[in-house]
Parts: sequence; structure tokens; C-alpha cells
Amino acid sequence: MQVIEAIKEKARREKRRIVLPESGEERILRAACQASAEGVAEPILIGNEREVGAQAGKLGVSLGGIAIEDPSASDRLDPYVREYLKIRSGKEVTEALARRILLKNLYYGAMMVRVGDADGMVAGAATLTASVIKAGHLIIGFQEGIGTPSSFFVMETGNPEVGEGGVLIYADAAVNPDPDPEQLADIAISSARSARALLGWEPRVAILSFSTKGSASHPLVDKVIKAAEIAKAKAPSLLIDGELQADAALKADVARKKMKDPGPVAGRANVLIFPDLNSGNISYKLTQHVGGARAYGPILQGFAKPISDLSRGARSEEIAGVIAIVSVLAQSILPESGQGK
Amino acid sequence: MSVEERVKRIIADQFRVKPEDLKPETSFTKDLMAESIDTVELLAALEEEFGFEIPDEDAEKNQTVGQAIEYMKRKVAEKEKKGG
Repeated sequence: MQVIEAIKEKARREKRRIVLPESGEERILRAACQASAEGVAEPILIGNEREVGAQAGKLGVSLGGIAIEDPSASDRLDPYVREYLKIRSGKEVTEALARRILLKNLYYGAMMVRVGDADGMVAGAATLTASVIKAGHLIIGFQEGIGTPSSFFVMETGNPEVGEGGVLIYADAAVNPDPDPEQLADIAISSARSARALLGWEPRVAILSFSTKGSASHPLVDKVIKAAEIAKAKAPSLLIDGELQADAALKADVARKKMKDPGPVAGRANVLIFPDLNSGNISYKLTQHVGGARAYGPILQGFAKPISDLSRGARSEEIAGVIAIVSVLAQSILPESGQGK
Repeated sequence: MSVEERVKRIIADQFRVKPEDLKPETSFTKDLMAESIDTVELLAALEEEFGFEIPDEDAEKNQTVGQAIEYMKRKVAEKEKKGG
């Protein structure tokens, strides 16, 4: 079974409410319809009910059973404005300004997630990644102990010798161009949490480099070593190791050859953390196009509640897949702190 | 008040600096230490003042006070042309 099918199966078992702020996009309407029909989520569209209905009619898409939330007509707007002023207390934000911001679908959607009127948000079909991240940062905030949002890909390689039966998580291949050691540690911890929440794995996180445990010395290697130290100190219960080369991370025989004591991660890593966006983005594309792997993502991570970006060109089926992924992530928020449902 | 003065006053209010300290080359992130989330409110304040929406795509391109002023001047002129 494809990974995405397993994820959809999991999503169906405990449906979550996923808010979609971009109801003006045809692909979003089709994806909402598909997600609802497949039973992987209860989509909530943000927009004017009449306009959304008219567009759906034109497209021949049935929105039966899908909630439509209109910020300007909603009783929720006033309490949301009060909540916004609370978040930004000390910033002297006026009520008019808060109202203007919340009348924007993206921020309204994020607020629905914050206060629990929705469980997750998917946006980005017609919105900049930076804007989705900004809305998440401003309204939802970060997970405990995390200060840097990032993203991950699920890579389905078809090679059962690596990762978790051939499936791996790659991060960060889309958001942070040149993370410092603290940021890289955050990416490692967030990715471990994502792996656990989405795929139910015991994450084994390798922070990658061109060196394995001192086989090379260079400031670029030092950054990775520092990141591994920070990550281990911040999340002592997680299995994190670095610096490791990709082969030492993935192959047990190579790990044994290169290391005296490979430990629980080396040779059997299922989460790969790349030292920067060059290596992360290039690796995911090579794995996909040279290795023939399927790639799902980028999915945002690090926020207190799950939200995700979409690539601008995402097709409606792909968007429906992301809705299922965010739905599953919403089933267990902050698994480490035991707050998961 | 001119568009320039109105834009400067709003930026000054948002970042709690004096309008006269804002130079065309003043950078939002480097000089005013704007976090990305602060720009959400700056944008909303400009929209509130001028009465039209500013797309995020446009906002991302304006990295300095001078660029923001030029952008707003252009937009106000476009609106006037359309309206008149």
C-alpha cells in the first residue's frame, strides 16, 4: 500500500476539522470535495457562502456537508478580535487593525485553529509560503521548545533496505536556507515529532554531513556536531545522532565499518536532517527523479497546531493528500509532552 | 498630508520611532528590527489608512522605507486614475 493510502486510512479513523482559507481556488474546492468524500477530514471552507456556492455550481463540485465560514458574517469575529488583542498585548494594536487582519481568510483560518474551532489548516495554493508561515507564527505560535518553523517531506523510496520499510522523512528541504546550529536542532526535533505523529514511528534521527564522527574536520561539520549536541540536550528522550554521512546513517554495514559503536541511530535512521537547504532540496529532488521515489510535502512543522503550506502548482488530488496528512498530524498534537489525543 | 508623510507616520507608529528618523534607505528588518510578524500589522495599518488591500506578494518586495513610500504613491495614483 502506498504511504498516502495508509495515511488516509489513519485519517479516516479519527476525522479532524481542516480549515481551507483559499475557497476562491478551484483546486481547493475540488480537494475539499475529495477529502470529504474520502472521509479523511471535515473540511471547512472560508469565504462568502453565496460566492463559494456559485463557484462550486459552475465547476460541478458538490459541497454537500462541507461547512463554509464567512468571517465578515460570523459571530466568531468579535471573540477572535479579542483573542488577537490578547496575543499581541503590549503591542498597542487597535481593535480596528485586529479586525482588518482577521477579516483576511488566512488569519481567520489560523485563529480558528488556535482557539480550537478547527484542528488544522491547509493553505498555499494561491498564498506565499512566507505568508502561511507568518500567519502560523503570529496566531498559532510554535511548539514547546521550538523557535524555528521548518518543513519535511515523506519519501517513499521503494527500497525496503533503508529507513522504515523504504520510507524516510527528509528535512528541511523547503524553508530554511542556512539554519544555524540551534535552528538545525529545532528542525531535527520537529521532524522526530512529525515522524511519530504522522507515521507512528519511533524516530531515529540522523543529522547529516560529509563527515562521520570526526572523519573530516571543517566549520561546516562543526555546525552539525553542535546541532546534534543541542538537539540531544533539548530532547533527551529522542534518538538523535550526528554528524553522520548518508551511507553511515542508512546502511548498518557501513555504520559498523565507520564507527566503533554505531548506537541506535546510525545504520538504521528513518529521519534524515540536512545541514542546509542546498543539500536538503537537492537530495529530495534526486531521490525523487533519479531514485524514482514518491515525495509527499513539503509539510510545515514546528507550530503548536498543524498547518501546512502547498506548492503553488499543487493539483487537487495532491491537496487532498495534504489535507489527510494535516488531519493525521492533528490527531496527536505535541506527542512528546503527552498532550496527544 | 502627503502620501509620503502618511506612510512615514504609520511606519513610525508601528515601530515606535520618530518619523524624521526614517530615511529612504531605512530597512525594515535591519534598521527597524522588524520580525516578519510585525509586517502583518504594518500592512494592515497601511490598508486601514489608504483604504485598499496590499497583496503579500507586493509587500515582500518593499524592504526599505523608501520602497514602501514609492509603492504606496504608485498605488494611490493608480486608484485616483481609476476613480476619476
